[in-house]
Amino acid sequence: MNEWIVILGAGAVTFLTRASFIVFADPQKFPHAFRVALAYVPAAVLAAIVVPGLAIAHGALDLTASNPRLLAGIVAFAVALKVRNPIVPIGAGMAALWALQALAG
Amino acid sequence: MVSNERTPDARGEFLAGCRDMAPVLVGTVPFGFVAGVAAVGAGMTPLEGIALSLFAFSGIAQLVVAQLVAAQSPVVLTLAAALIVSLRFLMYSAALSPHVAHLPARWRVPLAYLMTDQGFAMGVHIYSQPGDLRLRHWHVLGSGITLWVVWQSSVVAGAVLGAQVPAAWSLDFVVTLSFLVLLAPALRTRADLAAAVVAGAVVLLAAGLPYKLSLVVASLAGIAAGVAAEWMHKR
Repeated sequence: MNEWIVILGAGAVTFLTRASFIVFADPQKFPHAFRVALAYVPAAVLAAIVVPGLAIAHGALDLTASNPRLLAGIVAFAVALKVRNPIVPIGAGMAALWALQALAG
Repeated sequence: MVSNERTPDARGEFLAGCRDMAPVLVGTVPFGFVAGVAAVGAGMTPLEGIALSLFAFSGIAQLVVAQLVAAQSPVVLTLAAALIVSLRFLMYSAALSPHVAHLPARWRVPLAYLMTDQGFAMGVHIYSQPGDLRLRHWHVLGSGITLWVVWQSSVVAGAVLGAQVPAAWSLDFVVTLSFLVLLAPALRTRADLAAAVVAGAVVLLAAGLPYKLSLVVASLAGIAAGVAAEWMHKR
């Protein structure tokens, strides 16, 4: 029961944010401060999603070289700065993770 | 009419969009599979997991919802977390809106629904290319539908097959990498970097908060840091 409210609600939230300016509003009509803040949403939100996936291992913070996800993420990030095609950094990151796990295991 | 004028061709634009999306799909398949597994792992039925994917069509929103459903969080908090991770769509929507403003609603509504991180990146790129832009929305439609079909198929596979992939493959890391690939080009200025560093630090400091509130707090702190960095730079 609650699941279906969440499913429909998540659909509404994702559609309304996507449709905000494409369907409903003209961004030029919003205050300057709002548009300034909007510019930093991707960097902030994407970092908040990515960092725990790299720095938290087995439920605990691990910023040492013994954390294979952190090292693999650094490899993938370096590649992503150079290569635009997403296959390459994603492939490099997975390959690095598997290699580090094989070495550790 | 000049008969030999190169007229843009809707079918050609659509197919070019389908083709251009192909390199992205390598990350989409495992990510979609992980999202399908996560929904069922959270206690949803496969049908509910697939419905969530059809309505939300957003990997990170689906994963956040699955995590909070698994933790039996209140509906309001679950939807608030989905909203926070969807805030970046506001920025994408604002950036793409001038290119599609001339189209009727029957075009803008499906294009909005189909917009993703990858679709946005491709849309910005394709509208910056030289040539006739009049039918370029067909390219956006082609790339969007391609991603949609592959994403939904992968989610269905994950929801139905369940967690049959060995944990040692660490397939879930594809999710982190998918967003890392988007983060790298988003860091163009020092203010972008400030926003990302502060958001990354705060999300770790706030990791103990319940209901994924760390994501909300960190995102808002990062946005504030970006605005502050821009403001200090201008003074």
